[in-house]
Amino acid sequence: MVVASWIGGWRRVTQASLMALGLHGLTFLLALPFAMLVRDQIAEQLGSSLAAGAVADGVNNDWWREFTAQATGLGATFTPSIIGFASTLDAVSRVLDARYPPTALMWLLGGYLALWTFLSGGVLDRFARQRPTRAHGFFSASGRLFFRLARLTALGGLIYWFLFAYVHPWLFLDLWRDLTRGLGIERTAFFWRLLFYVIFGVVLLKLNLVFDYARIRLVVEDRRSALGALRASLRFLWHHPLDVTALYAIDGAGFVMLLALWSVAAPGVYGTGLAMWLAFAAGQLYLLARLAIKLHFLASQTALFQAHLAHASYTAVPAPAWPESPAAELIPR
Amino acid sequence: MRRPVLLSIVIGAVLIAAVDLAVGQQPAPAAVPSRGGVQTFDQPLPEALSPRNASYDITVRLDPVRKEIKGRETIRWRNISAATSNELQFHLYWNAWRNDDSTWLRESRLRAQAPARPRDVVRRPEETGASDVTSIKVTPAGGVAADLTAAIRYLAPDDGNGADRTVMAVTLPDTVGPAATVQIEIEWTGRIPFAAARTGWIGDYFFFGQWFPKIGVLEDGGWNTHQFHNATEFYADFGVYNVQMTVPGGYTLGATGREMRRVDNADGTTTHSYHADDVADFGWTTSPSFVEERRAFNHPKLPSVEMRLLLRPEHRGQETRQFAAAAAALEYYGQWFGAYPYGNITIVDPADQSNSDGMEYPMIFTGRANWLSPASVATPDLTITHETGHQWWYGVVATNEFENGWMDEGFNTWATARVIEETRRSNLMAVRTFGGFIPYALNVPLSREVDGNRMPAYRPDAKSDAQTTPTFRYWPRSANAITYAKTALWMHTLERHLGWPTMQKVMATYFDRWKFRHPRPQDFFQVVNEVSGQDLTSFFDQVVRTSNTFDYAVQELKQEPLSQGRTRAVVVAQRLGEATFPVDVVTTFADGQQATEHWDGKDRRVIYAYERPARVTRVEIDPGQVLLLDINRTNNSRTTQPRAAEAARKWSLAWMVWLQELMITSGIFG
Repeated sequence: MVVASWIGGWRRVTQASLMALGLHGLTFLLALPFAMLVRDQIAEQLGSSLAAGAVADGVNNDWWREFTAQATGLGATFTPSIIGFASTLDAVSRVLDARYPPTALMWLLGGYLALWTFLSGGVLDRFARQRPTRAHGFFSASGRLFFRLARLTALGGLIYWFLFAYVHPWLFLDLWRDLTRGLGIERTAFFWRLLFYVIFGVVLLKLNLVFDYARIRLVVEDRRSALGALRASLRFLWHHPLDVTALYAIDGAGFVMLLALWSVAAPGVYGTGLAMWLAFAAGQLYLLARLAIKLHFLASQTALFQAHLAHASYTAVPAPAWPESPAAELIPR
Repeated sequence: MRRPVLLSIVIGAVLIAAVDLAVGQQPAPAAVPSRGGVQTFDQPLPEALSPRNASYDITVRLDPVRKEIKGRETIRWRNISAATSNELQFHLYWNAWRNDDSTWLRESRLRAQAPARPRDVVRRPEETGASDVTSIKVTPAGGVAADLTAAIRYLAPDDGNGADRTVMAVTLPDTVGPAATVQIEIEWTGRIPFAAARTGWIGDYFFFGQWFPKIGVLEDGGWNTHQFHNATEFYADFGVYNVQMTVPGGYTLGATGREMRRVDNADGTTTHSYHADDVADFGWTTSPSFVEERRAFNHPKLPSVEMRLLLRPEHRGQETRQFAAAAAALEYYGQWFGAYPYGNITIVDPADQSNSDGMEYPMIFTGRANWLSPASVATPDLTITHETGHQWWYGVVATNEFENGWMDEGFNTWATARVIEETRRSNLMAVRTFGGFIPYALNVPLSREVDGNRMPAYRPDAKSDAQTTPTFRYWPRSANAITYAKTALWMHTLERHLGWPTMQKVMATYFDRWKFRHPRPQDFFQVVNEVSGQDLTSFFDQVVRTSNTFDYAVQELKQEPLSQGRTRAVVVAQRLGEATFPVDVVTTFADGQQATEHWDGKDRRVIYAYERPARVTRVEIDPGQVLLLDINRTNNSRTTQPRAAEAARKWSLAWMVWLQELMITSGIFG
């Protein structure tokens, strides 16, 4: 059942490849204006300087140091951590070390999460139905499910906030520091930290699982109550721990493999022109793969949940029809 | 006449036998690769290199369980100043961790960038440190010993802090005039601080810095004895040290000087006897975990040096790297400034979190190593080269670090960067993630000009203090920027201004003239002017005596066509900073011709007008990057074919991928 769900998940993702592309396009469009702001800051700082040549042709750390010393807001996030695979390490390390992005980006990330909450109803609905729902079906499901999912996200937000505001500092600032306070061996200190990463990571992933299945049950079973969906999710996880964990582990292995591949393939420092666009395209391909894996997590989990139901393609709500009401469409104005 | 001769022979033979027996108790030294001359390590120095006016015989016993030392010292001190004093002053720096109100801890709290969490700043009772003098007796030459224990008092000459006990004084029954000597006998107990600033213990590792009652420096104007401050550490007279350290058997020990004798005691302890001539301080370390390695530094033009490495087991495999970094300093500093005057040096690989990394003492220092250290990144190499370099700037040329910290740390930062540039094939930037444990080397080369000289540290704090301010009075948070970075930047500027051959001669002369002495800033300036044949007073006025910054910019480039294909171009160069320095303004024309103007850099702006058959393509101020203190180099040039848009597009696209990835990663919360 686990392998079938994993394969089924990929089938559902590939069947909805346009949706995946659309979601990728969304991150692209959201990031684009901010990237343009950063571009303007860089261009303004460089002006007509000769330094721009070295910055364009490769990397000039001397200039970079000067830029970051003067930069504010978004520009302050333009650091060498953005280069190649360092970017990925930085993103993952930020989560595990609870390093918050600058305020300007927090708003953007908050907006992205709100948008994702809206779209995830349509995404899950599409995966549950296993047939094209077209744009109207997608957005109809997104709109119908939004407030329920938003309540679930708000609940999740509270729990994640507690996790990062209290559990993380307790683990890493109190417990880890106390454990390693008199320790003179860096490697041992790191192994302790690694253990704490595992503990924190497992809690994070468990929560992720609970909320994933809550969303899936909320959508598939057309549940109105976010709390009810959470309880149902916990029941499902309680009764099928092996299946759920095994599937999550296989999905996770795919994610790790992608990271390993990217650690080798990520473009480092390059020039302008074709090299720049090729590097950008490689970056977008990687992001598309990340997104596809993220969607596959949801699709395979949906498949697993449905496989445990009497009818594998069950959805409580009939497919939306367009036009919604023929009578309404007949009204000329 | 025969009997005394015979007696002398017998006594001599007995002495030789005794020394032979004592030496026989030492373990066989590790094999040292020899290339001739190595066996000269232990030859006595022909004559005193220093005034040797503060010599110490110290006996100390470590109790590793109670984290205590008990010590007894005899100081033979001679007044080499023109002053007469009726008191003696001593450093007792472990008292910096005796209470929370010491000057060191007050400054340390000011230095912390982020608001400290209470649990991070509170020291547990077992983690505090202290030095308690239990007895002090002073014997003038030809006089009788006076017990002055009851007369002990504490001074706070720098800030009047009554809670600070880092400077101890006793009033003498009689004054000590110029050339007079006294013998001081002190007994004390030390509570070893936990992983404090560059001294203390962690786990089974002990590093002893600032650990014994050390007499201050009496100058012509009186005692120069400062409290212990967060950003300064040293000032002491030279002498001969004989130190016997008793530690548990099985502990490896390294110290200033050379081990002369090692005796295993009946109680399971071992006493290590070290001797050092012409040093101004004494540091030591001990741990049962050290892995000991020895190698020889041999160079055709320099005396051989026995290098001893006390390595942490987790850093096995880094031996070659650590030795090479120390050897690089021995070689280049030796050739550039003067030979390392001692026959041996000990590199200590400190325990993690010990806070004793990057610490220099004569003939012994600590490096800084990480468990994961990519070969392309200059860690631990840079720290080891730097700390080896301190043997020149601090160890031999013993400036007053309390007042002129830039004269050792700054000179040494400049010289370290030069060595790193000479020796390292790759010096890349590393991003450290996951709590700082995991390094990821980026293909971003670090330059000597900016990273080696620490410009990023200097730039935001450039105006925080003038170097004429005594270093201990610097604002604690920016003290390092002014001490290390600013000096390295102006020394490199001076090097480019004078040319390396002259600069090398300046530093070699300065080293030779002031070795084993205490030069002041004026002494250095005098050597520079003398050797270079230039009066550089105005330069030192700019960089040392003010906190002004340098910033030159191309303000304007205007061109208009004239008849017969000629072009009139107006170039305006501007001085944005308050400091001035002569700079070249180079204008390049489309036909390849160049016009170089030598601007004294004093006016706010200067205007150059050209009528040429070709248009101007670029203007550069200081194209040779002589003025490394210029805090904004991007505005130093202007081109008619700007590529800012290209560069900005490229990097903003890379940033965009980073942002998108951050968004997708944050998606796990939604």
